[in-house]
Amino acid sequence: MQKKDNKSCVLMAAILAMLLLATLHSQSQAGNQEYASVVSGHVLEFPRDYGAHPDFRIEWWYVTGWLETAEKKALGFQVTFFRTATRHHSNNPSRFAPRQLIIAHAALSDPELGRLVYDEKTARAGFDMAYAREGNTDVKLDDWYFRREPDGRYLTEIQAKEFGFQLLLKPTQAIMLQGERGFSRKGPNIEQASYYYSEPHLDVSGTVTLQNKPLAVQGRAWLDHEWSSEILDPRADGWDWMSANLDDGSALMAFRIRGKDNSKLWAYGTRRDSTGQIAQFSADQVEFIPERTWNSPHTKAVYPVEMRVRTGETEWRLVPLFDDQELDSRGSAGAVYWEGAVTVFQNEQNVGRGYLELTGYVQPLDL
Amino acid sequence: MLELRRVSKAYMGGRQVLSNLTYTLKAGEYVAVMGESGIGKSTLLNLVAGLDTPDSGEVMIDGVAISELDDAAATLLRRKTLGFIFQAFHILPHLTLKQNIALPLLLNDLPVLRVEQMLAEVGLSGRGNHFPYQLSGGELQRVAIARALVHRPKLVLADEPTGNLDPDTAHDILQLIRAEIKKNGASGILVTHSHTAAATADAVLVMTKHGLKKTEPVERE
Amino acid sequence: MNAPILSGWLLLGEWRARFLQAIVAVMAIAIGVALGFSIHLVNAAAFNEFSAASKSLSGQSDLQVHSKQKYFDELIYPRLAQFEGVRLINPVLEFMVPIPGDHNSGNDQRLRILGIDMFRAAGMSPDLLGVPAEDRLMDGLSDDAIFLSPAAMEWLHVKQGDTVQFNVGTQTLELRVAGGVTRARAGQRIAVMDIGAAQWRFNYLGLLSRIELKLDDGVHHEAFKTELEKELGAQFFVTEIVEQEARLASMSRAYRVNLNMLALVALFTGAFLVFSTQALSVARRRSQFALLRVLGFTRQHLMRQVVAEGIVLGVIGSFCGLALGYGFAALAIRFFGGDLGSSFFPGIQPDLYISPAAALVYFAVGLGVTILGTVLPARDAMRIAPAAALKSSQENNVIDSVSVPWSAIVCLSLALLLAQLPSVYGLPVFGYLAIALLLIGGLALMPRFAAWFFSFALYWANRRFSCGKLHATTLMVLARLANVPGQASVALSGVLASFCLMVAMAIMVLSFRVSVDNWLEHVLPADLYVRAADSGKQGGFLPDEQKFLTELPEFSRIDFLRYQQLVLDPRRPEITLIARPIDSADPRNTLPIIGEFIAPEELSGHERSIWVSEAMVDLYGYSVGKQIMIPVGNRLQSFIVAGIWRDYGRQFGAVQMQLSDYQELSNDMSINTAAVWLQSKVTMDNAYDILHQLPYGDTLEITQSQTIRDTSLKIFDRSFAVTYLLEIIAVIIGLLGVAASFSLQMLSRSKEFGMLRHIGITRSQVLVVLAAEGGLLTTLGVMLGFVLGWCISLILIFIVNPQSFHWTMQLYMPWDWLFLIAGVMLISASITALVAGRRAVSGSVIRAVREDW
Repeated sequence: MQKKDNKSCVLMAAILAMLLLATLHSQSQAGNQEYASVVSGHVLEFPRDYGAHPDFRIEWWYVTGWLETAEKKALGFQVTFFRTATRHHSNNPSRFAPRQLIIAHAALSDPELGRLVYDEKTARAGFDMAYAREGNTDVKLDDWYFRREPDGRYLTEIQAKEFGFQLLLKPTQAIMLQGERGFSRKGPNIEQASYYYSEPHLDVSGTVTLQNKPLAVQGRAWLDHEWSSEILDPRADGWDWMSANLDDGSALMAFRIRGKDNSKLWAYGTRRDSTGQIAQFSADQVEFIPERTWNSPHTKAVYPVEMRVRTGETEWRLVPLFDDQELDSRGSAGAVYWEGAVTVFQNEQNVGRGYLELTGYVQPLDL
Repeated sequence: MLELRRVSKAYMGGRQVLSNLTYTLKAGEYVAVMGESGIGKSTLLNLVAGLDTPDSGEVMIDGVAISELDDAAATLLRRKTLGFIFQAFHILPHLTLKQNIALPLLLNDLPVLRVEQMLAEVGLSGRGNHFPYQLSGGELQRVAIARALVHRPKLVLADEPTGNLDPDTAHDILQLIRAEIKKNGASGILVTHSHTAAATADAVLVMTKHGLKKTEPVERE
Repeated sequence: MNAPILSGWLLLGEWRARFLQAIVAVMAIAIGVALGFSIHLVNAAAFNEFSAASKSLSGQSDLQVHSKQKYFDELIYPRLAQFEGVRLINPVLEFMVPIPGDHNSGNDQRLRILGIDMFRAAGMSPDLLGVPAEDRLMDGLSDDAIFLSPAAMEWLHVKQGDTVQFNVGTQTLELRVAGGVTRARAGQRIAVMDIGAAQWRFNYLGLLSRIELKLDDGVHHEAFKTELEKELGAQFFVTEIVEQEARLASMSRAYRVNLNMLALVALFTGAFLVFSTQALSVARRRSQFALLRVLGFTRQHLMRQVVAEGIVLGVIGSFCGLALGYGFAALAIRFFGGDLGSSFFPGIQPDLYISPAAALVYFAVGLGVTILGTVLPARDAMRIAPAAALKSSQENNVIDSVSVPWSAIVCLSLALLLAQLPSVYGLPVFGYLAIALLLIGGLALMPRFAAWFFSFALYWANRRFSCGKLHATTLMVLARLANVPGQASVALSGVLASFCLMVAMAIMVLSFRVSVDNWLEHVLPADLYVRAADSGKQGGFLPDEQKFLTELPEFSRIDFLRYQQLVLDPRRPEITLIARPIDSADPRNTLPIIGEFIAPEELSGHERSIWVSEAMVDLYGYSVGKQIMIPVGNRLQSFIVAGIWRDYGRQFGAVQMQLSDYQELSNDMSINTAAVWLQSKVTMDNAYDILHQLPYGDTLEITQSQTIRDTSLKIFDRSFAVTYLLEIIAVIIGLLGVAASFSLQMLSRSKEFGMLRHIGITRSQVLVVLAAEGGLLTTLGVMLGFVLGWCISLILIFIVNPQSFHWTMQLYMPWDWLFLIAGVMLISASITALVAGRRAVSGSVIRAVREDW
């Protein structure tokens, strides 16, 4: 019985891992001309671009943040809604035609637990049971949702097996267009790009349910919304990404795309200070330097959980809330990555808090 | 009537029962054969009845060597010429007395008229439609006697006919056998252990390893 | 006295003396038990496998939602998803598609396809997920991919990467075999594909066949179900897994029970054999028992002695029977699959499981039957009066103790009474009881009959005897048979039991076959039947195609038929709805109507007629004149039952209505089948050519009504093959009984034959006597068996069949077959008696005369 379950789960895992990650590769899908492409100079329009872009192959709304309970206990949380378009069934009139799939990941980092609690769901869009609407952020998968109100506040509710949360995210700053006014390159080729904007310094309030106990929480979060049809270079092995809400009101984001030989295929960084001044860092100005590694007992992967990130002249040190924030969902969803709440230090001074994402450390991300 | 010529018989295992036995029984003669158990009395009867064949020598009945005949021919000869009386009577339980007695007649394609007469002769007149279970042992043996003689056989073989009967009944039966044999002009061989029984015969033959030896009856009524 | 040791000596001595008889008795029990057990095993294995396979399709759901029609609007799916308490929801579209071409499996030419949403199914029935190639992981969602179970791949001769063709309506569809199924049961032929693709490709847009639900922990299933049913309305059923099992079980239950009954017949016949063996053995050992009594055996000791013999025989026989039965079952499954010639369990490959309980039951039945067959002789042994038995050679007749005609009369009248009673849970329990009682009563009456019959013969013989014209052998034969009826009937019981069952089955099967043949003629009046492959909710021919067909000049008449499956009761299998033009002047011209009916003109204008099959009467309580509700289109519609027609094709029920009524109510103008009459000058070949030249000609399934008739009868014969086999085995056991009882009689009658040989009866005459006895006994047994068998066949035809399969039939007598069997029986019984009696002419018989014991 157990064995059978594992077999089918591994199968699902493989399929979902593919959905999530392989669609990032242009080569894995031939004939992507059917999808809209990301071009430089395109002007993002709001509120329209808060909503979904079904013509693009992949899209996600990705929220990470730090929470604090009434007892001042720190928690990390993550909610991601992916939308991915399939090339199938373009002529199929069936309501079940799986033209768009919705995938949701939710995780909670509780240092008391010492590990991540995690859940995921996948469904085809349809029947109003799962959708990603156009016009404004409105994504739903059964009873999980992420929605932007007309006044700009976001609402999200997740009821997972081990935990749940119901959060209200209030913007405190303007949105932050990444790259060239929202056109964010992801590789040496100009086609390898996405439309990308962030909303840092979201004010969070709401309830977290852990071990069937509801806890009132407050905190700070960061939202990324990104859509594309072709992102990763075929030579890419994975990426490291970080975002941070700094205590001085500035927002910091940096990522690098790693090549198979652990080289830097591409990198990018931005910092916007509280006055709205934006500093951008090109590929050669952004460095990720591993400081301390952690060997995952679950997957045997070795993650550089403590990092020094250099953006131009500035160097930041990222220290994880705790080490075991690996998201090993091979038992259900297949993807394995490290997704952790981190504290940001500058010159040994705690200057803010953020999230670090490390992918491609178990196996290369090409499938 | 019956002639045994140098008859020898051995059974499997090599036990020699009869060796070189020669004897002649005249027509109308009624003899008793006595001897120790196992000496070969029953074998002798089987040979005479054609139910067994000798290893050597001949058994002649009325000039016919029954020992040379095949089973079918021997059976026909036996059917016509011989009558049997057994110790255990052997009356067929599901036939009436009349039918039992009639069997030899039917077998020989003779008219069944004589059955009533035989019944009367053995003292059972009027009981012809009874079944065997309604009879006592002595009466059963009377039926057997009637059956043995109804078809006027030339030779009657009686093997311990009174072995299962009380002395008084036995006496009556022995007298009846003798009377019937004589009346029908048949020859008879009575195999018995009883001197009393043997005494009802004309002569007594004692069977030993060396053959049959005639002695006068010990007692004669 | 050390009774056990003595018992042991006696047992061993007895069996050493008659080893062969003991073996025969053991064999009889073993064969009986083996047949019963193997049929049970095969049936149980097939049923388990079938229900496991069906269950594997419905996964681990708590509840399932079905509609009365096979398919329902998919919009119920989001509604259900919102229900409080629903944890997981899984929409499924399940349908069968015909597979073109012959795949040498006769009646199972359809592939089951499941359209699933892999993301929903993953939580409910993960076994059904397709396994794509490593480089094509998205195939599970693909619109041109299908996943096949290993058995389906083998059946269709394809492998991963090949393509398969399907006929959908008048179109051909090609799909790519993308891989296997995560876990399918051995032999299970299923295909899985994306639900959206299935809806589109196979024409089921907007339709689902069921929705599976898993509820939150703590939700009360029953209450939830009630609420859901209320919410969904009368068109829908909410079922739990248990109910589906009940439904599956009810599909094949009547068939399985009937087969088990037949197996019991073999066991029953075996019991007679044991009985005769024991009875004669007791008879033969009367004096031996008498001696034991004289020596100090009590009656109880004797009783125990005889019963112990029976028990030892029974234990050995039953045990061998179990082993043999397992072997039979394994062979049967290996060579014939699980369905024993019926088509109740198609497309599966079951494994044998031995349930200890079942094995124990069959063991107990075998042993019980043996003990039963031993108790009567044992009672007889107990009654022996020692002194008398020692002296007399009189044989007592065991059978006399049961031949009191009262018991027989009670049995027979009880049988008549029981035959009137209705079925129990859809099973003809009382019918079978009546048959058993008829058999027992008949057997008990047997000695009387034998006595009367042979006494009469003897009376006649006695008259000839007085005239002196009677032959000795005739006298002996008749006298024995007339005056010892007990022994006669012991030998006879086996012949009687097996022949009467044979007769009963033969009459029943022939009646059934002829009735089916007549019925086929009635229901297939057209020359050709043209079926378009099912295309979802739509029938295959669309209106313009129908019009085109109608206008073809080669056809003198075309009737269009619309078939649909409906579920009226979730615990019962689907019924068939047939919409077709029905002669409104006299419906009997179209339908094989039985009994009274309402002529269409007797109904008022707004009432619609419906004609229902016999099964609907038994299963759903319909009667002529009753108003009923049937789902047509998307609503329940009211109809008046206008008549009942005979249907051998659909055991679970069918209804027919005017095609015009159907189309008016459902707005569904498509049809599945066209019945075609040819113009007189048009040949079959012409007609085939014309139809094949249609643009969609390749997708049509064209059958001549003659072919359908032949195929149906072939299937019919195949499903009765097992019964023929059982009959033959029953006859063999019966003959074994004759052999056993005769050879035992030879022992007990050896003195008689010895005496007869002394007084001049030849060997051949002895053999003639024996053959005559055997022949005469068999003649009587055959005659009585015929009468009894005829009575049993009436019960089978008029009670058991209607009660278990819900159809009636007319009585037809297979005279030639019966005479043949009677002849074979007669000859083989005489030969058996002769062979068994060769001891009677052996030399040992002569010596027996002088043995007093």
